[in-house]
Amino acid sequence: METRRLIFVLGGIAVMLVVVVGGLALALSGGGGNGDGGGPGDTGDDTPAAESSPLPERVEGELRLFGPDPITLDPACASDAGSAEYIVEIFSGLVSFDRDLKIIPDLAEEIPEPTQNPDGTVTYTFNLRKDVKFHDGSRRVVAEDFKFSLERSLDPRTLSTVGIIYLDDIVGAREFAAGDADEVSGIEVMNANTLKITIDAPKAYFLAKLTYPTAYVVDRREVGDSTCFSDTQWTLRPNGTGPFKLEEWQVGQRIVLTANEGFHLDPKPSLAQVTYFLAGGSALIMYENDEIDLTGVGVNDIERIRDPSDPLNAEFRESPSLNTFYIGFNTQVPPFDDPVVRRAFGMAIDKKVLTEVVLKDLVVPANGVLPPGMPGFNEELEGIPFDPEGARALLEEAGGPSIVRDATLLDSGRGASVGPIIEAVVAMWEENLGVTVDVNQEEFGLFLRDLDEGSFQMFSLGWIADYVDPQDFLDIKFHSASGNNEMKYSNPQVDDLLERARVEQDEATRYELYQEAEEIIVQEAPWIPLYHGKTNALVKPYVQGYFLAPFVIPNLRYVSLSR
Amino acid sequence: MQGLASYIIRRLLWAPVILLAVSLVTFGLGRFGPGDPIQILQGQYRDPEVRERIANELGYNDNFFVQYGRYMGNFVTGDLGTSLTYRGLPVADVIFPRLWVTFQYNLLALVLIFAIGLPAGIWSALRQGTWMDPFLISVFLFFASVPVLVSIPVMQWLFALKLGWLPSGGWEVREFFGIEIGVLDKRIILPLIILTLPGIAGVARYMRAQVLEVLDEDYVRTARAKGLAEFTVVSRHIARNALLPLATIMGFALVGLLGGSIFLETLLGIPGIGSYAFEAVFNRDYDSIMAIVLITSTAFVAANLVVDITYAFIDPRIRLGGGAGR
Repeated sequence: METRRLIFVLGGIAVMLVVVVGGLALALSGGGGNGDGGGPGDTGDDTPAAESSPLPERVEGELRLFGPDPITLDPACASDAGSAEYIVEIFSGLVSFDRDLKIIPDLAEEIPEPTQNPDGTVTYTFNLRKDVKFHDGSRRVVAEDFKFSLERSLDPRTLSTVGIIYLDDIVGAREFAAGDADEVSGIEVMNANTLKITIDAPKAYFLAKLTYPTAYVVDRREVGDSTCFSDTQWTLRPNGTGPFKLEEWQVGQRIVLTANEGFHLDPKPSLAQVTYFLAGGSALIMYENDEIDLTGVGVNDIERIRDPSDPLNAEFRESPSLNTFYIGFNTQVPPFDDPVVRRAFGMAIDKKVLTEVVLKDLVVPANGVLPPGMPGFNEELEGIPFDPEGARALLEEAGGPSIVRDATLLDSGRGASVGPIIEAVVAMWEENLGVTVDVNQEEFGLFLRDLDEGSFQMFSLGWIADYVDPQDFLDIKFHSASGNNEMKYSNPQVDDLLERARVEQDEATRYELYQEAEEIIVQEAPWIPLYHGKTNALVKPYVQGYFLAPFVIPNLRYVSLSR
Repeated sequence: MQGLASYIIRRLLWAPVILLAVSLVTFGLGRFGPGDPIQILQGQYRDPEVRERIANELGYNDNFFVQYGRYMGNFVTGDLGTSLTYRGLPVADVIFPRLWVTFQYNLLALVLIFAIGLPAGIWSALRQGTWMDPFLISVFLFFASVPVLVSIPVMQWLFALKLGWLPSGGWEVREFFGIEIGVLDKRIILPLIILTLPGIAGVARYMRAQVLEVLDEDYVRTARAKGLAEFTVVSRHIARNALLPLATIMGFALVGLLGGSIFLETLLGIPGIGSYAFEAVFNRDYDSIMAIVLITSTAFVAANLVVDITYAFIDPRIRLGGGAGR
């Protein structure tokens, strides 16, 4: 009896497999036969009969994208690229980046020439366009709106974590942000169309910082007393000045943007509508099933897509992005306070293997701090070469592998397993240096706390450009007084170079100063730069003019659809 | 009925105590656990001064019990707090639509699971000893053994890419009398298949075991001996008695209606509560976490209560508090 039962169970499973495999085979052969139901699950559900086309109806001129919800749409509060991506399409500021990463006038009529004042400060006089209205058409944008918006980003009551970072060069910004002044003295309204901004020193990168959302204009009638953490309902239907209007934000479901017909720059938006699907889903399958027009490609799918025989291959595009992923050291704590040890660790890493084998060429190896495409990027910089023997010799010189005991690499992540890059790096150290490094993976919040407290030996992280200027990488990460210098790296010579570069007016000389600083940094190795990311994406052939930007810029107005 | 009333009252009195304990533990885990929402939202640009100002403004620097009291006080007046995941939006505005979404698709799946699972279980018990019994059960077991992480991509590939019958996911609502209903769209078919097929196995096997037990009872033999029609025997004597213990499963299944599946919702693009709860935990979105936990645990306590009371009604033998019995 028992064996008979077993036979039946196995028989049942076998039949099931046959049914499933047979079904797949039928499906593969393109079996379009209808009437045979869709399997047991189709019985009994009371949905209306599926129409012949399963795809969502498409609005004429609609671009469909896959996206996460923005954390915030308040320009004063956006601290992440994901939020900025939406904000730059809906709002705008005095200046912005075009697709060649050149700074162009946006709500300003032209890029003003800075004028030097006797006290060393520098004034920019912005003439505003006279024909720009807010999206609802009710009101012109005037200089007073800018003063309000910039001060709002700096206002301590707004609780913005980024306002002061982008606007701190303005005279009086620090006092105002600390609550010690009633207004920012360096922002002056001359008349409805003229705004004067005075900064504390001649800084070439200041206009680049003004392209960030914290300097965008908002409608003071609707933002009221809202802060980054309360009363943010207005962001569900904000009144901006950007190339697209926010038509609908169904939190967690979709964002619909429509063209701002009266947009003041050329080209004006050509897309009638842009729909973002926010609820998640399987992006690649959605793309293949014509539910979205564009998707990123990850390491799991890249081999298939690179295969020329795959139909998706023709739609694959890649382009560099402005970021650098690295391993950072705590330069205050032995053994990594010794540059020789850090160099040894850098020399033991074969970046070619990391980028080509582990990440399948989705990224490019990094020799220095600045990513390619960034002005001032040094083509000739060789960085620390891969040299296992040299690495071993260096480590011997510093005291041998025994000085690196209980070394731990701090990594951030959600999963139980460490990413392939870190696994490979640790294996290389083991093989080439004979040192064992433990990996301590923490959630992002804990990870940041440990970075803050300096309780780490080394960590792995990335840095993404906020604006196109070397200052954004070198000064912010490596100046000894910078709050973002987690490595606690301090070199008076580097500080001096960075400070001179801040105010250097001649562009070529300025980039030379940065390159000089970068050279020293790379050789002293508070960072081991590992790789620079790329944007790897599939774009439908009928999507024209989509530009894979290296970082967040207003992009959608260049896009059109044509079959 | 007097005993029943006092039983219900006793249970009702316990409910707030349980909820209070749950809320205190959850709140404590958030506040004393590692990680800090402000740190997460500041990301790599960190400014201790700004951090401190935000912490003050959000009340994170107050005494733990002050914070807890404030949250619970607001909660009972209907203010569920402010979301950090959707910076500054009221938690209620964010989670109720999501709970509704999760509830809808789960309810439909639950109905299907029982509608198919119960008859299947009875049928297979009555066919015990023939090939059909193990066959049927193994078919359902097959589906129950496939993890959703496998079944979802396979189903998407099959129904969306190969057959082109269905979209690969998504959630489309239609409005009826001001209520947004999402289960009337064809996009619901895929999640339903994925939830229902494995779910049936559990119910069918449980029902089968119950029926087999009942089959040996004297009253079944008596009913048959009386010459009752087989249908009457099965429906009135077997199924009815076998269904009793299912009330328990039913209760927990009802609670499960508010618990969304992270994988299902994420991979199929359904804006339900599961994917949001997951995000909220990683963002240390205290108010959202508290609201979700409190609402689901209230539902849990309520469902438990309903199950116990139903039990007392269907089966007087287990009624507590005396005054009953046969």
